[in-house]
Amino acid sequence: MEIGLTNSAAKPARRQRLRIDWSQQIPAYLFLLPALVSFTIFAWFPILNSVVMSFQSVNLVDASRSTWVGLRNYERMFADPTFAASWINSLEFTILSIIIGFFVPVVVAVLVNEMRYARGFFRVVYFLPSVIPPLIGLLVWRLIYSPNPGGLLNSLVAALGIAPQQWLQNPALVKPSILVIMTWGGFGGTMLIYLATLQDLPVELYEAAEIDGASIWQRGVHIVLPHLRSTMLVLLIVQVLGLVQIFIEPLVLTQGGPGQATMTPVFTLYRKGFLNGDYGLAAAWSVLLMIVLGVISFIYLRVARIAD
Amino acid sequence: MADGVSWNRAIISNLELRSTKARVVYALMVIALVLLSVVVIVPFAYAFTSGLKTGREIFSPNFNLLPAEANWGNYAQAWNYFQLPRLFLNTTVLVLGGLVSQISVSMLAAYSLSRLKPIGGRYIMLAFLITLMIPSIAYIIPLYVTAARLGLLGSYWGLWFSYGVNAFMIFILKNFFDGLPSELFDAARVDGASALQVFVFIALPLTRSMLIVLSILTFVNLWKDFLWPYLVLLQSPELQPISVFLFTVEQRSTTPVNIQMAGYFMAMLPPLLIAIVLQRYMQRGLSLGAVKG
Repeated sequence: MEIGLTNSAAKPARRQRLRIDWSQQIPAYLFLLPALVSFTIFAWFPILNSVVMSFQSVNLVDASRSTWVGLRNYERMFADPTFAASWINSLEFTILSIIIGFFVPVVVAVLVNEMRYARGFFRVVYFLPSVIPPLIGLLVWRLIYSPNPGGLLNSLVAALGIAPQQWLQNPALVKPSILVIMTWGGFGGTMLIYLATLQDLPVELYEAAEIDGASIWQRGVHIVLPHLRSTMLVLLIVQVLGLVQIFIEPLVLTQGGPGQATMTPVFTLYRKGFLNGDYGLAAAWSVLLMIVLGVISFIYLRVARIAD
Repeated sequence: MADGVSWNRAIISNLELRSTKARVVYALMVIALVLLSVVVIVPFAYAFTSGLKTGREIFSPNFNLLPAEANWGNYAQAWNYFQLPRLFLNTTVLVLGGLVSQISVSMLAAYSLSRLKPIGGRYIMLAFLITLMIPSIAYIIPLYVTAARLGLLGSYWGLWFSYGVNAFMIFILKNFFDGLPSELFDAARVDGASALQVFVFIALPLTRSMLIVLSILTFVNLWKDFLWPYLVLLQSPELQPISVFLFTVEQRSTTPVNIQMAGYFMAMLPPLLIAIVLQRYMQRGLSLGAVKG
């Protein structure tokens, strides 16, 4: 705070006296007060406290009865076989989702941008899955993915002559199945961002390329894609940020299974904390997760600034 | 966003569209988009029609999207079984309270940081923004512990209070206030208006259209929230919002699938209607995030 005081007082020194103008500062801080209080209670303190708790055996009701355990929570975290499984799953989810989901909104945005009619219609329809509570969407999808031969997807693939599948019970299928749901739920919003970017592409570029004899495909690859590239990079990082946080899908659909195929860091943390009451161990997971997410966010900021 | 803006051209020009080749490409694009629309809508349609089916029909191995006979009674049954009126009321109260909290806290903070020049304001803004780098799910455990120790579990107060935290909204509103000409405010200050009067009578009216967009966006986002209200209201089923309650019921008991689906479809309707009716605002709200993306 002292640094801030000298700093902001120094700049307007020419216009104002160095003395603090309390008649201005008091209302300024009164306006800030609600935000300062709520950020302290619900963000800053818990963030710092997770570091403290990760070195403790935590008593939920009474902080003074928590005991210090040194690095024990971290040792237990690294020794737990779920640890490696969760993070490897995160990595697999990330790679698979870049293959399955990343290009969907890009392609769809380019196509929608070509439409002479009904662009508003497509935008709204694709956006609908993003507005419903994800939990309810998942409850519906669970029935679609029912292993029963009469499940919607199984009865559909049966029409193609494919045997009924265990979409969520087969370790080979469960991750792609979940990513399909996530893509369904998210691509519409992402597509809107790409569409907005496409609006900025100067019309002259298309015209020049067309006059030069570039085919429709070539125009797409050499004009539209390069224009979208920086937005794609930014949104790629946003997507990774979301994938590290996968939680509600294993909670509703798989309980982390089959085996440990859908154990994720957040889901494990949730189980350690809320199901086992092991808040110290869960806090150690939190700290690691915050570091990982913080690093990805930092990369995001750098990339977004360059993309600007 | 270019909603009302007239369409210029994209990859395919209008002139080119007269050629057969371009027409074929265009037709394929239309078909792809229409098929995708169908795929996107299927889960909604499936929930709706499954809600009209008998339990046996749902698991009939023959593909049947439509029931032989529409059992509207399922919907009436689900309406009572899940106590939907109470759930909608709970969710609305929770979400509206959260909305008021989030917007007023953010407005006041943004206005102060932008116009009232608090000492150390830059550092405070930075401290707000840092919370954007760490999603709350990462510190949900200490958050829960804090709420438990403060006695905020089992009531809406803890949730309303916590929904005041949204650095992104402070950021957007601060940018908005930064962009307003300072003459507007200086004139009023010279006339002897207090900071609060300037805020209420000059700043607030200017934010109106912005406020509508942000409110709709916040409403939908808070309506979607699950984990935090789930943890806070775990022991208070009578207060739970819709997705929390549906999950709790689903965990504890076996409900006939057709009743479940009827209930889920009705639960999805309010946000769907909002998205359709207020689409323009929603999409503008999203582009707010994209601009600084």
